[in-house]
Amino acid sequence: MRYILHIVIKRQFMPGINNPNNLIANREAFFIDLYKNAFPAVAKYISRMGGSFDEARDVFHDALVIYYEKTVSALPMPDNSIAYLVGTAKNLWIKRYRKTEKNIPLDNIDFTLGEDENMPSSSRIMRFLETAGKKCMELLAGFYYEQLPLTEIADRFGYSGVRSATVQKYKCLEKVRETIKEKALTYDDFME
Amino acid sequence: MTSWNETEQIEAHIFGSADTGNALVFEARMLLDPALHDKVLWQRKAYEMIGHYGRKQLKLEIDAVHQQLFTQPEHISFAQKIRLLFINR
Repeated sequence: MRYILHIVIKRQFMPGINNPNNLIANREAFFIDLYKNAFPAVAKYISRMGGSFDEARDVFHDALVIYYEKTVSALPMPDNSIAYLVGTAKNLWIKRYRKTEKNIPLDNIDFTLGEDENMPSSSRIMRFLETAGKKCMELLAGFYYEQLPLTEIADRFGYSGVRSATVQKYKCLEKVRETIKEKALTYDDFME
Repeated sequence: MTSWNETEQIEAHIFGSADTGNALVFEARMLLDPALHDKVLWQRKAYEMIGHYGRKQLKLEIDAVHQQLFTQPEHISFAQKIRLLFINR
């Protein structure tokens, strides 16, 4: 059900999604469209509030990530994607950059993207996975993050069918799990 | 049992997608086998890292779109409109 919903949503926003070779190109067109329609309002607001171009870009990129993750999850979609994006970006900016009278440090952000990425050992493991285990990470992210159906995973990564893509997915997952374990045990600060 | 079958069962346990019978058997095995319990913990961590990886790749794609919009001639009027908002800053 989740996949069907996902495909319906993706088709709605990204026609031609069925062809895996077009996937990234379609996503690019999807982001360009959202950028052109939503970024001007975000930039205007942040500029009026005294923020910078870079701040506007950063919060808008995070808002796009949040929106994208919502489109691929089974969560209900906002009715108006542009209004949702503009609202999310404004809220992120207020939480991060707006100077308060008391100058409260801005680390009390309740929505942070990827806080774990900032942990030194976590990023060392990530760097390792990105290089030594790139193919596996791409396959796994395609399945667990982008939530592509296995038929698309098989097409994209050149497996003969759903079954061999499934086996490969679990083999990769096992490899990543063992790599993380092995690396984490050598980095003290990985586990809380 | 091959190791990828076990990985699949660990996944079913973590995502709560196993049927009741299999879920109970798995939980019993986990109690008796500390190594299996350990694998469950590391597999949870693996999903976390995969999520971070996916998000990082998506951000790179968004950065590339930003570059395109602010450097390529076909988008110049859009880029100028935005830059004008931040002029004198």
